[in-house]
Amino acid sequence: MASSDALLTPAPVGGARWRYRLRLALREPTTVIAILMAALFAYLIVLPILSILADAATVQFGDERRTGGGTGGFTSYYLYRAFVSPVAYDLFWEPLLNTLKVAFGAITISLAVGGVLAWLIARTDMFGRRWFATALIVPYMLPAWTFALAWNTLFKNRTVGGQPGWFEAIGLTPPDWLAYGQVPITIILALHYTPFVILLFGSALRRFDSQLEDSARILGASGWVVAAQVILPLMRPALLSAVLLIFAKCLGEFGVPYVLGLPVKFDVLATSLYRSIGSRQTGVAGVLAGAIMLIGVLAIMVDAYLAREARRFVTVGSKGSMNRLSRLKGLRWPATGFAGVVFMLSVGMPLLTLALSTVMHQPGSFALSNFTLDYWIGQDLPTVAMRTGILFSPDLWQAAFNTITIVGIASICSGILGVLTGYVVVRTTIRPLAIFLRQVTFMPYLVPGIAFAAAYLSLFAVQRGPIPGLYGTTLILVLALMADQMPYASRAGISAMMQLGKDPEEAAQIVGAGWFRRMTSIVIPIQKGSLVTGILLPFISGIKGLSLFVILAVPATDVLTTFSLRLVDYNYTQAANAVVLIIAGLAYGGTVLAQRLTRTNLAEGLGT
Amino acid sequence: MPDIVLSNVQKSYGGGSPNAVSDLDLHIHDGEFMCLLGPSGCGKTTTLRMIAGLENLTDGEIHVGERVIDSPARGAFVGPEKRGMGLVFQSYALWPHLTIERNTDFGLRLRKVPKAEREARVEKVMKALDIEKYRHRYPSQLSGGQQQRVALARMLAVNPGVLLLDEPLSNLDARLRLEMRAELKRIHAEFRTTIVFVTHDQWEAMTLATSIAVMSEGRLQQLGTPNDIYDRPANRFVAEFVGSPPINILEAATTHALDRAASHWLAGRLGESAGVGSVGFRPEALQIARSEAAVPGGSFRHAAEVTGILPTGGSWIIELKVDGRALFATTTESPALRGGERVWVHVRPTAVHVFDAAGLRLAEADDVLARAA
Ligand SMILES: Nc1ncnc2c1ncn2[C@@H]1O[C@H](COP(=O)(O)OP(=O)(O)OP(=O)(O)O)[C@@H](O)[C@H]1O
Ligand SMILES: [Mg+2]
Repeated sequence: MASSDALLTPAPVGGARWRYRLRLALREPTTVIAILMAALFAYLIVLPILSILADAATVQFGDERRTGGGTGGFTSYYLYRAFVSPVAYDLFWEPLLNTLKVAFGAITISLAVGGVLAWLIARTDMFGRRWFATALIVPYMLPAWTFALAWNTLFKNRTVGGQPGWFEAIGLTPPDWLAYGQVPITIILALHYTPFVILLFGSALRRFDSQLEDSARILGASGWVVAAQVILPLMRPALLSAVLLIFAKCLGEFGVPYVLGLPVKFDVLATSLYRSIGSRQTGVAGVLAGAIMLIGVLAIMVDAYLAREARRFVTVGSKGSMNRLSRLKGLRWPATGFAGVVFMLSVGMPLLTLALSTVMHQPGSFALSNFTLDYWIGQDLPTVAMRTGILFSPDLWQAAFNTITIVGIASICSGILGVLTGYVVVRTTIRPLAIFLRQVTFMPYLVPGIAFAAAYLSLFAVQRGPIPGLYGTTLILVLALMADQMPYASRAGISAMMQLGKDPEEAAQIVGAGWFRRMTSIVIPIQKGSLVTGILLPFISGIKGLSLFVILAVPATDVLTTFSLRLVDYNYTQAANAVVLIIAGLAYGGTVLAQRLTRTNLAEGLGT
Repeated sequence: MPDIVLSNVQKSYGGGSPNAVSDLDLHIHDGEFMCLLGPSGCGKTTTLRMIAGLENLTDGEIHVGERVIDSPARGAFVGPEKRGMGLVFQSYALWPHLTIERNTDFGLRLRKVPKAEREARVEKVMKALDIEKYRHRYPSQLSGGQQQRVALARMLAVNPGVLLLDEPLSNLDARLRLEMRAELKRIHAEFRTTIVFVTHDQWEAMTLATSIAVMSEGRLQQLGTPNDIYDRPANRFVAEFVGSPPINILEAATTHALDRAASHWLAGRLGESAGVGSVGFRPEALQIARSEAAVPGGSFRHAAEVTGILPTGGSWIIELKVDGRALFATTTESPALRGGERVWVHVRPTAVHVFDAAGLRLAEADDVLARAA
């Protein structure tokens, strides 16, 4: 050993240790990629959010006189205007109250209905359990405002112009409270989120050990006592989790209140924000977006806190776990009937209504002469703008093309970035970098889509430095959607990489494979499945997404959802309904296809 | 491959935890079959991964012949893909998306070895490990033992200068383990590679290794041949870690009758001021006599009571007690003893290990005791 020392390469010099560290850090591109990605996400996620929060506190162009300051200076005017001024009630407090009313109404109904259904499906001998288990989830695969349009088709009254609803058409004018506003919005959101409860509760119930129930029974407790004192407390974590997630989702829900709230000026926070942006009140929009984000963050944080608390008693599902079905006996048929009715109300009727409406000239008239395929495939129609059936409308194909390209590119990018995030988070030796990446990619989850879109508008609408204004381009949609999907993409990527572990890659390294070779021959082929899932699921949820696009899209960059919303605005009921049916078909077909391809269960992809 | 030399190697994973490896000097000779032996968490895997280049050093140096492959002080680091070593992971880490054949020839394809040569090499390795019949299967379709052999084949195919094995046998059942041990010995002979083998199974180390490095808490305790380690443990840790049932240890400083007797017996041979801390003798060195008269002169002796006789198949463990203190003896002849019987235990002077107060072997004692015998 001593003899070979003399032959060794250069003697130690100052700074060698730094050279060593640098060499280790740069030996592989992992760290460099991690740094680049951190910069990218800081720009695409953090900066927009900071920008809109800054909007809320700085004087906007055109507001100099009102605020008494120069453009860009600090002001509390917008906070004052949104929270305290005479218009504050209309701008913020009433929408907030409406949001809460709708959200809690929807939560109550969906918990009651979904809870019962979950129990029927998971723990009883109801007829057709398997079929219902899938069928009752369908509403969640469809965009929520599909149901809003169906509702409109049935209940629209003379308060608003355009084609009346079926009831109005046959002379039964529905009252405003039934046609618009809180009641229909609550019912629709409840039906839309019921599957959520069924899934969350169902899996908790399935894990629930019958032996716990039995022990209580043996000690002499009656069925009701068991339900109240054993089952309910153990189900509480699932219950709370469902409540908070539905709340967070209702908070950002735009389509339904837009379609059904507008005619009676029933504003929720999301539509109020939309209005402020539409009327170019940038500062107020910043305040509203900030408020929505804050409420969203609080809801998710409470959920995370409760989830941590709940982990203390996950005795549910022990080893001897068994799952016995309750016998419904005489209630077997009524129970099945109940599930059937819920299915009809939440899937059958809305879709049937929409489908029929697209082949009928006059609403509510079922004479054979009233049926037509013109709205799908007609030519030279006597309407002002829609001169052909929807399938011959170039606008539809343009919107479809936009949808596929925008959502497609965004999903592919976020899928790849997700896998890369997973890779560098798990592999980088610089821990703060890993933590930053993990957290920054999670941020959009806390921000409802509409607020996130507003944030994008705030940062990218105008030229900033070398970056030109992006409003009206496809790029801004792609970027926003991609960033919005990062929470799911990066979580999927990180968990896939964690599962894979380092060993397979290190084994390749040992036999001589460099970084790129390892990526192409080992990591990516092994992660192919999760990459496909990571692209498909966001793609499907992107197709039916509305709140992000409605703020950022212009007619030229319309996607299918915004296109149908525009048709609603122009009162082209049949055409709008047809487009929504197309979207629903795509979303449903895509979900089924994705499940087939990836052999995943829907419940797992539910978060998106 | 030239010798691999680790000098004064330190490894800390940071975060305020104690060093995973400290002050490690290790010389691995060409063609050696070295076992790293030690309890869980003592730094064996870390050492292996540092040699492979999957973990970098905090301080110190590793070189292979004259080539420095890792040295923070010199700013030198050679990546694992350029070290030409082979590493078999405890988890096997086969590539799940490649067939057994593609798993095996992966490294050769990387090196752009001509087809004919590649196939011949793969054939040879697969045959040696008896996995040719699974060549078109995927790893998930093989049993643990078969996967294990693929993991080995994959590394052997590229003809590494040194083969590093991290507890490769720990997931196998007893029979398969025995087979694989024989297999490894054969591979060592046939391919003439240097092998560094990690295990915490002393039996495995004893039967396989040409030399054993015993580690504890990140430090090397002793490096030597299996016989050295067993017969001349360098310190109490090695003495107590190796051997089953464990070595009997008597502390010099207590007032227990047995300890006092041992101190007294030693003082008669080494003198009072020899600095004896403890005395040990292996169970097979502890002999049993029916009466004191039957004890050979010069041996250490004491009266004891038989408390149990445990047959272990072909040999027996005899449990004894002296004033509540347990002693173990082993024998390969069926003992004609009964529980509760009072006997004399005795140990030949050459079978006695003497350690100082710090637990290090007292080398002088060895000479004195050898002469006394
Ligand atoms: N990546 C790591 N980060 C932090 N500490 C680590 C890491 N890997 C190992 N350690 C610590 O270093 C010490 C040595 O670990 P090592 O894996 O080398 O032990 P080992 O001898 O291989 O044990 P075993 O027999 O259980 O495999 C342990 O205390 C361990 O907790
Ligand atoms: Mg280990």
